[in-house]
Amino acid sequence: MPKLKALKYLLSLFILVFFVQTMAQDEPEPVVTDFGSGGTLISFWNGLSGSDGVTLNEMLGQFVSENPDVSVRTEIIDWGTLYPKLQTAFVAGEPPDVFIVHASEVAQFHSYGMLKDLSYLYDTNGGPLPADDFAQPGFNGVFIDGVPYGVPLDNHGRATWANVGLFEAAGIEPHIPNNFDDLVAMLQQLTLDANGNNAASADFDPANIVQWGTCMEWIYTDFESYLWQHGGSIISEDGKTATVNSEAAMAALQKMHDLIYKYHVSPEPAGFDAWQSWAGGKVALVPTGSWFRNFAEDQTDIQGQALPAMQLGPNPGVWFGAHVFMIPVSLEGEKLAAVEKMIEWVTNNQKMWAASGQVPARISVQAELDPENYPSNILIGKTFQDYGHMEVVSTAILELQSALDPELSAALNNQKSIEDALNDANKRMQQILDRTQ
Amino acid sequence: MQKSESLSKTNTPKRFRMNLKTRETIAAYLFLSPFIILFSVFVIRATFYAIQMSFFDWTILRPFKPFVGLANYKELINDDVWWLALKNTLYFSIITVVGTSAVALAAALAINQPQVKGKEFFRVLLYMPSLLSVGVIGLTWVWLLNTQFGIVNYLLSFIGIRPINWLGDGKLVIPALSLTTIWWGFGFPMLIFLAGLQGIPEQLYEAARIDGARQGQIFWRITLPLLRPTLLFVTVTGFIAHFQVFGQPFIMTRGGPGRASYTVIFYLYEAAWRAFRMGYGSAIAVALAIIIIIFTLLQFRFIGRRVEY
Repeated sequence: MPKLKALKYLLSLFILVFFVQTMAQDEPEPVVTDFGSGGTLISFWNGLSGSDGVTLNEMLGQFVSENPDVSVRTEIIDWGTLYPKLQTAFVAGEPPDVFIVHASEVAQFHSYGMLKDLSYLYDTNGGPLPADDFAQPGFNGVFIDGVPYGVPLDNHGRATWANVGLFEAAGIEPHIPNNFDDLVAMLQQLTLDANGNNAASADFDPANIVQWGTCMEWIYTDFESYLWQHGGSIISEDGKTATVNSEAAMAALQKMHDLIYKYHVSPEPAGFDAWQSWAGGKVALVPTGSWFRNFAEDQTDIQGQALPAMQLGPNPGVWFGAHVFMIPVSLEGEKLAAVEKMIEWVTNNQKMWAASGQVPARISVQAELDPENYPSNILIGKTFQDYGHMEVVSTAILELQSALDPELSAALNNQKSIEDALNDANKRMQQILDRTQ
Repeated sequence: MQKSESLSKTNTPKRFRMNLKTRETIAAYLFLSPFIILFSVFVIRATFYAIQMSFFDWTILRPFKPFVGLANYKELINDDVWWLALKNTLYFSIITVVGTSAVALAAALAINQPQVKGKEFFRVLLYMPSLLSVGVIGLTWVWLLNTQFGIVNYLLSFIGIRPINWLGDGKLVIPALSLTTIWWGFGFPMLIFLAGLQGIPEQLYEAARIDGARQGQIFWRITLPLLRPTLLFVTVTGFIAHFQVFGQPFIMTRGGPGRASYTVIFYLYEAAWRAFRMGYGSAIAVALAIIIIIFTLLQFRFIGRRVEY
């Protein structure tokens, strides 16, 4: 049985290589970190991975050194896992002492009666935090019926990052055109096939592209940006009707689709690694978030430049959200005092948080950022203030996202027509709204 | 006489003696009791609780959980995503069970050759992937199968094959997840097949060789028929396990592209833990359990009747 013998050795070799590779992986990022040895220990859960987590941990290290009576245990948990973990922790009566979720989820967690009214932390109710120093419209996101249930840490949202070298090679100054036709023309110049022809050339070979003008990264949020640019929204203002199959939505998604299949300036999204491709010099303009800053800076062989989000519609518009501190309704006593101290300290030192790439929530801190060290924070923050849209507020926001996201993916990966995908999404979202609103 | 016998029985100190069978039965239950207790608390109780929850609009953090009767099941029957997830799961299970059984049997046959030296070493080595967690397997295979930077596409490029979008192509994603699972899971059925092979009497092979049978004939006429009970066990347990696939799509594709790799348990997770609808999630779980039971009975009906123990 020589074939069986060969199979045995082949399998063995493969497994051996796999194990060697597995063991050679880098050290994983810490998920649980203890800071300080103070008598009052507070547990702090959040989903701030990557440079966000690194920056926050640095801040907490400094906080406990200035407040030796407090120690902090942080758990960094993937957002998708954090939500169910919070549920089970609350049901078990063992929630964290403080946690961060997004402003768009405040309504959902508030509807379960989980959150403490934090009015008393703001100066409008005698607290230490200056309410009028938090940037709008992000700050509005923490209010339910006029009551604040959180303290915003930042505003974070969509932008683009240009590979300046690829723009220069194409003879184009890095910028974002303010209409779709000019955008397509620019991206065509930046898309090259293996023979060096760009996508506007008659000899261009779309089956053999080596450099892309752009790509798709976080489809859901970019779709929302482009939808707003076309004057639409995923749900009606009263939050009771799904409107994701509107003409505006069809137009927005059609233009995204055209970038891939009509103009060939963007690859099919599934299976395409946007960040690594940008780092490898294969994408000229990557749509991404404010959090891309440190990754871009780490690519020392590439000159990156932050630009506003792409404009596919007639008006500018960009998705943004906010990370928000929240406190469980049940927290009292020493731990509550320690948590309040930590939130106040972090809020007063939000300039440190800008190192993560995010835009600090406080207006005064945004004004302190110098253009030399924080160019992306300043530029992106300005787009949020000028034409930013917060993620829609709904008590079923996570479920709505789950209904829409796969349909967008199906349309942009050519598994469904635009119309079918958006009609299916709308039907499902309406069922959710009918059940929950 | 009868009276005296009766008296002597009454007066003799009586020792309560159990017969051997009773003692063995009690001992067996005592040994089993830790499992039975834990199984009852964490599986049986949870199963009945899930059945109960499936009749309620059960949102975990809301104190009021209204009884909705069969509403969750009615919704399930009309839910397109449920049927898609079921189809994907069935497709995944068939590919994976057939693939795992074939690879495991081939590996067992290779190791079982009399001339092979170091059988124990290869047995351990080939079993090793089964020891890894789904997290390790999933993350590593995402890189191996990466369209642009993956080693699989890199190796295929040497024979002129253009990069394949393993996890991003709706038609390929389930086979790619199956490939990962087969590699991960063939170790255990390989051990089962090895045990089965070692139970086949050597005289049968000798007689066949004396009669001039070729290797292929020996495999198809002797080995495979006598391995049928083992094969039945491997396929039945394989289907039960793979119908509950979750970790691979959750880690490797998040159910995408689109919903091309949504599986039933992945959808259950979405319903229960992302939409926070425990009642609907429980209805999905109950429906899946019924389907698995029916499928297992069908396997016994159609494969089991040809098995001689």
